Amino acid sequence: MTEAKNEKFDSYMTAIIANRVDGIIREMTNTLLRAARSAVINSARDFSCSICTGDNRLLAAAEGLPIHIFGSHMQSKAMTDFNDDIREGDCYLHNDPYSGNTHAADHTFLVPVFIDGEHLFTAVAKAHQADIGNSLPTTYMAGAKDQYEEGALIFPAVRIQRDYTNIEDVVRMCRSRIRVPGQWYGDYLAGIGSARIGERRLKELCEKYGKDTIKSFIRDWFDYSEERMAQAISKLPKSTLKNSGAHDPYGDLLPEGIPLNVELRIDPEERMIDVDLTDNIDNVDCGLNESEACASASTIAGVFNSLDPTVPRNSGSFRRIRLHLRDGAIAGRPKFPHCCSVSTTNVADRLINIVQSAFAEIGDGFGLAEGGVGMGAGFAVVSGKDDRAENEPYVNQLIIASSGGPASPVADGWITYGIPVVAGLMYRDSVEIDELKHPLQFQYLRIVTGSGGAGRNRGAPAMEISYGPTELPMDVLWPCDGTIYAPQGVRGGDAGSACQHFKVSANGFEEELPSIVEVQLKKGEKVRGNHSGGGGYGDPLDRDPRKVLKDVLERYETAERAREIYGVVLTGSGDDESLALDAAATRKLRSERAAA
Amino acid sequence: MESVLAYRISVDTGGTFTDVIVTDTKGHMTIGKALTTRDRISVGMKEAISAAAGELGISLEDLLGQSDLLIYGTTRATNAIVTKTVAKTAFVTTEGFPDILLLKEGGKFNPHDFTEEYPDPYIPRRHTFEIAERIDAQGRATTPLNEALARQTLETIRDRGFEAIAVCLIWSIANPEHELKIGAMIQEIMPDVPFTLSHQLIPIVREYRRASATAIDASLKPLMQSHLRGLETDLRDTGYAGEILVSTTAGGCNHVEALVEKPIYTIGSGPAMAPIAGLTFSEAEDMGDNVIICDTGGTTFDVGLVRDSRLTFSRDTWLGGLYTGDLLGISSVDMRSIGAGGGSIAWVDEGGLMRVGPQSAGADPGPACYGNGGEDPTVSDAAVVLGYFDPDYFLGGRMTLDVEAARLAVKRVADQAGYTVEETAYRIMGLASDLMMRAISDITINEGFNPRESTIVAGGGAAGVNIMTIANELGCNRVILPKVASALSAAGMQFADIVAEEATSLVSLSNRFDMDAVNATLADLEDRLETFRRTLPGGGDRYRLEYVAEARYLAQVWELDTPLTVPRFNSQADLDALVEAFHQVHERVFAVRDEGSPVEIVTWKVRLVVQISEPPVATGAIDATTEAKSATTTRECYFGDATAVTTPIHKASDIVPGNRIMGPAIIEEPTTTLVVYPGMSATVSAAGNYRLDVS
Repeated sequence: MTEAKNEKFDSYMTAIIANRVDGIIREMTNTLLRAARSAVINSARDFSCSICTGDNRLLAAAEGLPIHIFGSHMQSKAMTDFNDDIREGDCYLHNDPYSGNTHAADHTFLVPVFIDGEHLFTAVAKAHQADIGNSLPTTYMAGAKDQYEEGALIFPAVRIQRDYTNIEDVVRMCRSRIRVPGQWYGDYLAGIGSARIGERRLKELCEKYGKDTIKSFIRDWFDYSEERMAQAISKLPKSTLKNSGAHDPYGDLLPEGIPLNVELRIDPEERMIDVDLTDNIDNVDCGLNESEACASASTIAGVFNSLDPTVPRNSGSFRRIRLHLRDGAIAGRPKFPHCCSVSTTNVADRLINIVQSAFAEIGDGFGLAEGGVGMGAGFAVVSGKDDRAENEPYVNQLIIASSGGPASPVADGWITYGIPVVAGLMYRDSVEIDELKHPLQFQYLRIVTGSGGAGRNRGAPAMEISYGPTELPMDVLWPCDGTIYAPQGVRGGDAGSACQHFKVSANGFEEELPSIVEVQLKKGEKVRGNHSGGGGYGDPLDRDPRKVLKDVLERYETAERAREIYGVVLTGSGDDESLALDAAATRKLRSERAAA
Repeated sequence: MESVLAYRISVDTGGTFTDVIVTDTKGHMTIGKALTTRDRISVGMKEAISAAAGELGISLEDLLGQSDLLIYGTTRATNAIVTKTVAKTAFVTTEGFPDILLLKEGGKFNPHDFTEEYPDPYIPRRHTFEIAERIDAQGRATTPLNEALARQTLETIRDRGFEAIAVCLIWSIANPEHELKIGAMIQEIMPDVPFTLSHQLIPIVREYRRASATAIDASLKPLMQSHLRGLETDLRDTGYAGEILVSTTAGGCNHVEALVEKPIYTIGSGPAMAPIAGLTFSEAEDMGDNVIICDTGGTTFDVGLVRDSRLTFSRDTWLGGLYTGDLLGISSVDMRSIGAGGGSIAWVDEGGLMRVGPQSAGADPGPACYGNGGEDPTVSDAAVVLGYFDPDYFLGGRMTLDVEAARLAVKRVADQAGYTVEETAYRIMGLASDLMMRAISDITINEGFNPRESTIVAGGGAAGVNIMTIANELGCNRVILPKVASALSAAGMQFADIVAEEATSLVSLSNRFDMDAVNATLADLEDRLETFRRTLPGGGDRYRLEYVAEARYLAQVWELDTPLTVPRFNSQADLDALVEAFHQVHERVFAVRDEGSPVEIVTWKVRLVVQISEPPVATGAIDATTEAKSATTTRECYFGDATAVTTPIHKASDIVPGNRIMGPAIIEEPTTTLVVYPGMSATVSAAGNYRLDVS
């Protein structure tokens, strides 16, 4: 890409064009959401759209999931590195975790956008597929010892359209390997449609403003974003923060779990943050390894969570973060052929948590507690045959329950948080839509009282869920975390509750399940369990007693926990609407606790 | 409805102003405005009608005595929700699923922003009651209704003094038996407590959408029953003997009784009338039936769409914001609102970028130019700096503007942005216009609708300031600023039809299509509407029925409204026509079609439209345009350059139909100001509306 000509930062035109670019991504997003077939995309919004520059810098990502978009420029780079005959009308399919993708399940459509023969942008639509042809019917192969056992078709920026027409060989490969191919093909059309809408609108944008103005904008937007990031960092004290955490144990392979370490070096004078992940263990022979995209995206997300939330997310602001990754580390750059099937969630969630909670060490008002982790029963991939539709096969990921969000210095946790990597952005399935689309029935789906980590600000409570197949057997797979190591509070806040799951037999016998689950349920059998609660921020004895009263009234907390943990004394009962705060008794109890 | 009487009155009771429009038998419109009164709504209404009567030179009593129809629109329900003064409402739902209203459908804007509290559910969890019962997706009762326990629960609700009850059970749309039984028990146990059953109000799949609509509707019942009946009594007391109708968000109007039953339909009913006005004015000016309607207020900009003479509808209207508000769920006129208007504040952020909004100076202190102590530069201040408003004759002389305060405010942004005060003001206007243009793009381009092939009808007091630049930016060359732009919703009521809609959820696949079942469904919907139609005065004999399928490709979950071309399916060709119509809608909106996929129809809707007014006869364009009288005054105005342009200022009273005014020029109407930018022009049509040429 040749350089822009106009030298002066245009405070007005930059704002106008940034709005337009944002509008283009929102239109891409709307297209993908509404046109897609699998619930994981069209109900849950497990996808992200972004725009990269022709020289492979992330320009804008609107409301993309943090874990998805921080690496899309690595994928556009793979496209330009691997193909020397890119031209208008091309579209590339990329899902290779070894050349920039998050994990193999995220099919990414890359459309190079040419303006007067120059490759100026790449429109990127990335969507988590319901199935990608793995050896088991799940897109999260926790048990796969390497990429071969994982079994997905891998596309390292493979051309899938030329001259705006499908390259049918590649489409046929997918249709021959991916379960429920019609569903995949519908999602494929939606993904292509989204990227093509981005292409069309970017061309219109360049036509309207002229290529020179657009190039000035690109430069100015990166400079502006970098300046915003630099200003945010300059407000932090100079510090070196070390933090650790761990993913749950996994069978004999990881009896102690996966220990994780991060070191953050904040330099407000240089206005830079160093994020160092090099002190982590080597890759392991299972699907929990981080891809480079996920190791980067999750740590950067942890940093963004701890700064001014209006700083734009793009390659400009990323210039102020120096990331240190090690080759062959579980949270670094993976060594081929290690499996990264689960890299977008489990270890990534833990990395976000330890980065954002490290910031809390600076002092009150900084950082966040740990968010609820674990893709439990409410995030399971379910599959089988549907007796209601002539035994047609089905496979899909449910996204219906949620872990609790972390408490922050100023607010309680977000209830529909999901997990740290999606941070509340994803939509939830409807009970009725899930029952309509799959032959299963839910028994309950609700908040668990008293499950959010106590604190001055409270972590969000967890949800619990129960379901089973209505007729034919159903395979249920999920890679949970947070069953052993619960999400921690910070600055005196308590941990959220841990995950716990059971298989329930037809006669009611309950068998507790490990974190990572592969079960087949027959008619009458169910799974049930709860996700984890978010960690609390600050001392529970400092929580406003009126908020504690409301928590008890609204059944987020029990009267017992109010007294024991929060030191708040209540009188009356919720049943007859007489519950009230005993302010004097509360003051007395709290001063006793503080003295103890 | 034949009429020998002279007048028809429409009343749009907004949050601040009550707008009244009175039409005489010749179709001539007169505006009356007054401040809305909170205590007794009819006081402000009477004042506004009196104002219009004064314009007409007759007394209030004579006007009311000589009118045969009064159409009333109100924001009462919306205000009650915003101020949290709705009834104490119990939420009754299926055991195991108490958190439907809390959990909503997920989603959030900024993933890195942890400063916001999670929103409270529309009905508190402590007012939620679970009932032991369960229907499955096929409509079978997998857990029978435990009537004894249900009765106990309802008795508790009665004893705790609830004023309304919302009942939404899982899959009640597949089998309404349990909801109906609970309804019967409520009537027996507490006959005075109003309630709403979800399958009756909104028979659609997705429990949150149904629950939210049901909760909102039930919570409004006590309040809106007394409000609407009180209005009726007050009007009768003044001697008004004509018909009273209420505007609805379904894009028409209806009887008081119908809205007492479903008060949710009064929410957003004012803005829902604007597209009707837009379509009427566009057709009257011979500018076609594809219309974009823009309504600019002090704090919000509303935009809606009419496509091929049909209003557009959405089930995705949120009260209080996407994700964090409460979903209306019902199919309502798709008017989208963004926070942008004269009060939006301009600022420069840490990185040096100019911004406008989302903060607003609101009404108090308001823009700096109001002189009430506001110091932040607003869009209105920018307009003052640019010379667009006469500081001594703002709002027809009702207010004097402080130009120095406006300049000082804008200068604060100018100093940071590195432009002159006037250049900055022009850019503030540009950013505000850009926000509005994006809102228009969202509802047009993003839905496959080309603004270049449609007409913009602009309304609201602040519309004239930048509508021409917005239209130019969109490439839309047909623009109308109606004479009654400042009361667009009240104008729309004048042309509203009586509208009723019935819908049923019947999932039908195009490759396994049960024609008999679908035809039976359509017949049932027609029957229900027919029964209603017969209750109308004069039998509602000028009517039409519209048939719509809410459809999608198999396995999609978001439906698209697809009009049916036939009222019944009699052959494969009828079905093929529906499938093809769906492919076309899908391709238009999403740029792709999937010929191989079956089409799944989820909801069938029939809409009854009873015509009660005569549309104005198209007056067409003016053949010969004439020069307007030369302007009596000029002002120094800025249009983007650092230097001023001496600009003619035209008073509305000096302009007659046929006049063409070349930009740069400013036209001052009593309730709005039109800025004609250099190179553009405005022509006054035979009907007195402004036809704007932005090319």
